Amino acid sequence: MTLTEIIQIISGFVGSIGFAILFNIRGKRLVVTGIGGFASWFIFVILSWYIPSEPIIYFIVACGISIYAEVMARVVKAPTTTFIISSLIPLVPGGSLYYTMANAFEGNLKVFLQRGVYTLELAAALALGIIVSTAVAKIIYGTINKRQKP
Amino acid sequence: MKKLFSYAMDIGEQMLISGAEVHRVEESVTRICNALGAVRVDVFIITSSMVVTVHTNDGEIYTQTRRIMSSGIDIEKLHGLNQLSREICEKNLSAEEIETKLNAAINCKKYPIWWEFVCYAVIAGAFTLFFGGTAIETLISLLVGFAVRCSISVFNRLITNKIFSKFISTAVATFLALIAVKFGWIPNVDKIIIGNIMTLIPGIGLINALRDLFTGDSIAGLLRTIEAVLTALAIAAGYFVIAVLGEFIL
Repeated sequence: MTLTEIIQIISGFVGSIGFAILFNIRGKRLVVTGIGGFASWFIFVILSWYIPSEPIIYFIVACGISIYAEVMARVVKAPTTTFIISSLIPLVPGGSLYYTMANAFEGNLKVFLQRGVYTLELAAALALGIIVSTAVAKIIYGTINKRQKP
Repeated sequence: MKKLFSYAMDIGEQMLISGAEVHRVEESVTRICNALGAVRVDVFIITSSMVVTVHTNDGEIYTQTRRIMSSGIDIEKLHGLNQLSREICEKNLSAEEIETKLNAAINCKKYPIWWEFVCYAVIAGAFTLFFGGTAIETLISLLVGFAVRCSISVFNRLITNKIFSKFISTAVATFLALIAVKFGWIPNVDKIIIGNIMTLIPGIGLINALRDLFTGDSIAGLLRTIEAVLTALAIAAGYFVIAVLGEFIL
């Protein structure tokens, strides 16, 4: 792991804690969010050694974090979205969005389109990962609940 | 029943204001009304409005609507409200008990306001570093983040429109970054703006929108999607306006 990657993991972690505080998350739920924020970029870095495509990594990380959020939401009794949102903050394609804007401003139409499509790809991968694991969690918890109260 | 029904509406309203998902609020309101003795409950909720009709077992029918104006995210409050609705369903709480508990949930613990200023600064700094900024860029980004939060406080009194407020915030961030470049402290504005965009970006709105869409709340989902897209455009516009003006003035 290079120094840049370590700095990214730590700053991503600090960023998610910052967002968690903005959302008025407290106590043990803050700890859970912090772990999620740390894990999301940590997993990203590890996966990026093996998988060349960023959107695919985004999808896998989003799936993983959503499952973590679904489980923790039941453990500490809080809405799932709480943990998904603040833990996935490091993956929000802010940089990509900025370069899309900057290229539109400079009139590089070709780069602008490339960047724009790439930003959308990242956002879609992120959303898809969340939706897939939410759906799976719903099915699993649905069957468990049905078994409990026949 | 009429009074108890109002409490169910209050709880639903407060949940929406603290950023709960629509289907979650619908479920909670239905459960509370059922627990309070309704025979039939019809709920229709979107992010900006709720309409609920209950049929009581003595044949009365009540309908209430609420218009929801503001929405932010307050997880602690949401937690308190969830706890309360669970209690109403399990135990037979009296009207007074519900009222005191509702007030307790609404006035839950909050971080002091200056924490928000610190958070904006820290988030902006952290993401400047994250996207490859140098130490000096991180420091400037911290200060710009703080200034962006100050500008939100100032303009919130004048402008209630959320989208326009994002436009102003981005404009302020871009302007300060351009000044820093002008003084030669940093080579270009890129990293500063990226860091500050992260606090403004509608990533959360978009994620919520898609979750709503795919859980079957199409209207709420569409409203949120449009809001997210407009916010992204407002951010781009804020950057554009200042970047164009900056080329002339600075």
